[in-house]
Amino acid sequence: MLLEIKDVHFGYKQEAPILQGFDMNVAQGEFLTLLGPSGCGKSTLLNLAAGLLLPLDGSVKFNGGYLHGINNNVGYMTQGDTLLPWNTVAKNILLPLELRGTPAQERSDKLERALKLVNLGEARNKFPSELSGGMKRRALLARSLIYDPPMLLMDEPFAALDAQLRETMHKELLSTVRRLNESVLFVTHDITESILLSDRVLVLGGRPLRILEETMIPWGKERNLDEIRKSAEYATLETHVRGLLRQADAQQYATPSTGEA
Amino acid sequence: MSTDNKPADVPDHLAKAPVRKSRRRIRMENLAWQIFIGVAFLGFWEYASERWISALLVSKPTRIAGTMWEWTVDGTYVTHIWVTLKATAMGFGGGAIGGMILGYITATWRRVGEVLEPYVTALYTLPRLALAPLFLMWFGLGMEFRVMFSATIVFFLVYYNTYFGVREVSNELLAAVRIMGANRAQLAMRVVIPSALVWVAAGLKISVPYALVGVVVAEMLASDEGVGFLLAKSASQFSTYGTFAAIAALLAMALATDWILEFFTRRALRWKTVGSQGQQQQQ
Repeated sequence: MLLEIKDVHFGYKQEAPILQGFDMNVAQGEFLTLLGPSGCGKSTLLNLAAGLLLPLDGSVKFNGGYLHGINNNVGYMTQGDTLLPWNTVAKNILLPLELRGTPAQERSDKLERALKLVNLGEARNKFPSELSGGMKRRALLARSLIYDPPMLLMDEPFAALDAQLRETMHKELLSTVRRLNESVLFVTHDITESILLSDRVLVLGGRPLRILEETMIPWGKERNLDEIRKSAEYATLETHVRGLLRQADAQQYATPSTGEA
Repeated sequence: MSTDNKPADVPDHLAKAPVRKSRRRIRMENLAWQIFIGVAFLGFWEYASERWISALLVSKPTRIAGTMWEWTVDGTYVTHIWVTLKATAMGFGGGAIGGMILGYITATWRRVGEVLEPYVTALYTLPRLALAPLFLMWFGLGMEFRVMFSATIVFFLVYYNTYFGVREVSNELLAAVRIMGANRAQLAMRVVIPSALVWVAAGLKISVPYALVGVVVAEMLASDEGVGFLLAKSASQFSTYGTFAAIAALLAMALATDWILEFFTRRALRWKTVGSQGQQQQQ
């Protein structure tokens, strides 16, 4: 297992605990989606995997070792625009390598590869303020992949995009992930997104958070999103997951809490 | 607005589309207006002086220009402006550096900020003029007094801007860069300081005129050199033309520093304007 979250407890003072003995694994090369209502605590799980939060009890293991601080072996992409506005696209994508002291030659090789991967060669000398929403997402993706982390942590990375652009980004993400054999831990409240992209979906809800259902997605790695969308199987899955999410929503409002995700 | 000779196949709404004045044209027109207002004001002043108002009180532009020329030729301007500029630059530099350092520290180490907060607020709200007698006793009549006086004004302006600038840096951005492998120093150099720079630059820009104010006030209070001294001396001798000539020097200095500052901040913050300009061009 690449990521093992075992018997983890987490919560904030004077609030109902968010996690109480939570277990979860992500295998090498697996695309796992955490699906749940906003504010249910799925981002907390992602931040535990990133080492931004430390569990009050229990353990988070990454790549065989226990995690005690920031996890530098993951790519991290959130909803917000976290490009440095004063640096060009190329400088932004190079940032992780510069921080890690990668030699110059290797840096420029990797930059070329990354720009090609996300198709941003033309925009390399532009500033983020000159980019469209989709280009920004692609630059962020390139930046989180350039140091070859075995796993990508994504927290609603496409939530701010319009529907059409989101579809394009889905395809690009899948082909990139497949080419690099990346593991992905993906957080979303979008049912369609979870069914189209994942190998496995955990529907989460309640407080303390629990797994309402583990849904295996049968499309395999070589998938055609347009075909899937038209299939009867997709419709069945969608209806099923929607029902689960409604149930999770109901639980969310039943438990009085003001906790942030 | 003639539509007579338009080709028949052009739709009406396209042919009649009004043409907007170009940006450049507007700028030229603005400049013409600015010059006109200035000249008209001076002309009115020249005419009204002695006719409607006593020249002893308001002098005359020609008389003032004569004094200005005199002071330019005999070196009065150069000596006093140089002294004032030097004190302003030193007061601004000292206050700004101090403000930036303390602002960064108190914003980064929250506890330090919390402990120092009442002291900083108390000193900030204190009328700075009240410190003048104390500073005079400590530093005497020389340059140090003026520099210190001006620095205390600049310090707080820059301090608060730096403090809020550092505190405003997005947590999401900080988290992302930490995961990419940044240590504390890299985080400061690559993210926090550049992010805060917009605020700091604003603080610096506001505080330059205040640095000048500090120095001039100090020179007027107690000094034997500088433009403030020139101003106070002329006024004490009831020489309105001398007073206006000194004010003209201050005006010129204030405008020049603002232009220089504008030039530097625009370069440092190029990333901030480049996108919006691009959008304007696309329209």
